[in-house]
Amino acid sequence: MIFCLAQSVKSHGWLDNSLYFRSANLRCRFAAVMLFLILGVFSMLTAAYAQNAPQASEKGKEVYENSCAHCHGTEGRGDGSAAENLLPKPRDFTRGLYKIRSTETGELPTDQDLFDIITEGMPGSSMPPWDTALSANDRWEVVAYIKTFYDGFKEAETSPKQINLSGKVAYSEQSIETGKALYTELGCVECHGNIGRGDGTSAPDLTDEWGFQSWPANLTQGWNFRGGSDTEDIFKRFIGGLAGSAMPAFEGDSFPGFGLTAEESSRMTELDNKDEMTEAEEEESAQLYEKYDAAVDIALNLAEGTELSAEERQIYDDAMRVVYEKSWHLANYVKSLMPEKRPEPAIGNNVLRSQYVQSELPPMDDAAWGTLEARYFPLVGQIVIEPRQFNPTIDAVNVKSFYNDTEVAFLFTWDDRTHTTDETDEETGKTLEDALAVQFPVKVPQGPTAPKPYFLWGGRLPVYLWHWKASAPEQVTELTAKGINNAEAQAAQGELQVQSTYTNGQYKLWVKRALKTEDKKDLQLEPGVFVPIAFSAWDGANGDVDTKRVMTSWYTFVLEPVPSSKRFIYPPLIALLSVGFLFGLRAFVQRRNSEET
Amino acid sequence: MKKLSLFTICLIILVGSWVFLRFVVGGIISVPIPGSVIAMYMGLIIIAILVHISVEDSLFQEFRRPILETLVEDKRRNHRRVLVVLIPLLLLGYTYSIIAQRANPPGSPRDAHPSPPLELTYKDEVIGTMQDVVNPFRHYEKDDPEAFRAHVENGKRVYHQNCFYCHGDHLDGQGHFAPYLQPLPANFQDPGIIPNFQESFFFWRIAKGGPGLPAAGTPWDSPMPIWENTLTQDEIWDVILFLSDYTGYQFRTFGEAH
Repeated sequence: MIFCLAQSVKSHGWLDNSLYFRSANLRCRFAAVMLFLILGVFSMLTAAYAQNAPQASEKGKEVYENSCAHCHGTEGRGDGSAAENLLPKPRDFTRGLYKIRSTETGELPTDQDLFDIITEGMPGSSMPPWDTALSANDRWEVVAYIKTFYDGFKEAETSPKQINLSGKVAYSEQSIETGKALYTELGCVECHGNIGRGDGTSAPDLTDEWGFQSWPANLTQGWNFRGGSDTEDIFKRFIGGLAGSAMPAFEGDSFPGFGLTAEESSRMTELDNKDEMTEAEEEESAQLYEKYDAAVDIALNLAEGTELSAEERQIYDDAMRVVYEKSWHLANYVKSLMPEKRPEPAIGNNVLRSQYVQSELPPMDDAAWGTLEARYFPLVGQIVIEPRQFNPTIDAVNVKSFYNDTEVAFLFTWDDRTHTTDETDEETGKTLEDALAVQFPVKVPQGPTAPKPYFLWGGRLPVYLWHWKASAPEQVTELTAKGINNAEAQAAQGELQVQSTYTNGQYKLWVKRALKTEDKKDLQLEPGVFVPIAFSAWDGANGDVDTKRVMTSWYTFVLEPVPSSKRFIYPPLIALLSVGFLFGLRAFVQRRNSEET
Repeated sequence: MKKLSLFTICLIILVGSWVFLRFVVGGIISVPIPGSVIAMYMGLIIIAILVHISVEDSLFQEFRRPILETLVEDKRRNHRRVLVVLIPLLLLGYTYSIIAQRANPPGSPRDAHPSPPLELTYKDEVIGTMQDVVNPFRHYEKDDPEAFRAHVENGKRVYHQNCFYCHGDHLDGQGHFAPYLQPLPANFQDPGIIPNFQESFFFWRIAKGGPGLPAAGTPWDSPMPIWENTLTQDEIWDVILFLSDYTGYQFRTFGEAH
């Protein structure tokens, strides 16, 4: 059967091919055709079902009020009781502005877009996936119901124009290079930063249509992309924009070099960057600009509703083809910035193991750190004690570590869009700054049932902390704490060596300490012992100060013991013994055989 | 086709059973089976094979023939060469992997539902004994449905301003902060949660949070806040009404007779 299918696919002109008809394969081919027909009808049916929501009904209202209204509000204004503490804010459905669409800029989303967002949720926000909590039917009812909040859906005469994805450019080194150039050329850097960590100069000042803070995406963390991080998703966000947010749609004529081929466009930039041009070059430049201006004019005319002549239409279509192709390169570049998936947290097989070296421990910029794989400690908002942080901006702390016979060194890295060292909180008057605290117990619990200190900076049992602040980047203060509001700098500060940098939206902090100290309030380290570790981090620009912070609960790390040298003795010994046994067995059998004969 | 020797058949049965148990039953059909259970089944299969080949002397002769042939006969010389390298290598790898095994972090033995204290308190005020305290608004369910709805609605508001970050929009313990918390937040949609506890137990867990747990509940790990610091008694009782109203599960009661 499969063979027949393959054959019928292979010979597309099979109707003319009478040999096939006469052959004994006829029945087989008939079955193949039927199967194709059935599959075709089936997929058409599902497609037809998938594209349109039913009429709004009482059922949709009921599901909406039960499951959605607490965030999005009973009137759909995004003002439910939970909304107050959330950022990004729940969508206000009354304006018809939707971030995640498969449609062109200025268009409404398709029903399928709305259905998909409800089904899959929006990573990095408080919108959860509803795929298990609501049946597909209920989700369609909700789609129909939320459309009633905005009249534009009713008034729309034609279905929204979808972004054409047919010209997809394959992922390749060259495409990434082209995309990278475009990333700078289009000014993505201004918000998303030099290498995409969302740390551009205008990042802190962006707001959405409703006046709420709108942080640009950290393009290295695809798992937080609201609409997914497939290349197609990135392409759609770029072409269509995120309506209502600070992310614009890159419409055709706003592209540099609109109307020019890729070569012409790069030639134009090249000429622009020249200090002096020859006469021929000047003329060439002028011609390119003329072509560019003409294309932009056509685009503007089209936007105003003017009929285009056939020639103008041709110019416009050609220009748009180039724009789409470039956008695919850009999508490929953005895709190249992120790991394939969110790293696994540092538990189980991924527990943080400090590696032993015999020599001096490597300083912060040493290449040796590149040989270790970082362990990932995802952060969540501190919502246990007031004031709380409901909307974290720091995703995680990544940690690597080496130790030798006397010292241990840690390298902590974390992404923060802003470098804040001294800002005043408007509400409280407190000084805001970026910071990190690494938490250990003072005494390592012996055995799995022994109590640990409370995960939030201790309680009855104290914790030992390294507190680093962006305003004093070469210093770590040792603290002892018996509660989140009960921390004190140690009277005897140990000799900790500290290095740190902030580049391209990422902090790097290197701390080195002796394994053993004289101070009874310090943690004492020993190879092979699993030690609880936890983190707190503050992003000053997000209002983090004191208890308002992001944090982890307890994880563990270990100074990985140097493996026993027994591993070089016993295995070869056992292998040798087994060889001896095999030969002995053979000798025994041979002797017995000869005795029998 | 050449007939398979008895030895080969036994080998195939042995390897096949292991693959079947490990990957088909413990993978495709069901969840992975513990190694000790697989070892038990494999032991039974080996005994069965031994019984089978020792029933008749001819069967035993047939079974061992390929082994003896491989050991001594010239025509099996190549097999022999391969085996004399392969067997020691496998043993070498196996012992190395055992000796070089890395230590794993200690687990956290934890009682998720430790026994509550005898007395239910809010801050320092004694409300009553854990056994007898009932939700003061529960009776509205029969007496005054309108007032009951109002309390449930208020509970819903409190829930979505405080609890849903971890316990989720759907009360299923899958809030957007939940994946990276250890231990995981309670899932109220689990049929084993609400029906197993009295409302007073829930009040205790909400009011005292993680730090209020007895040692068996590893109070140092749980990120559950001490809600009596933030919420009023009425708000806590309202949230409890909302939990059962939304999920449809009834809290455990001991009825009139008690």
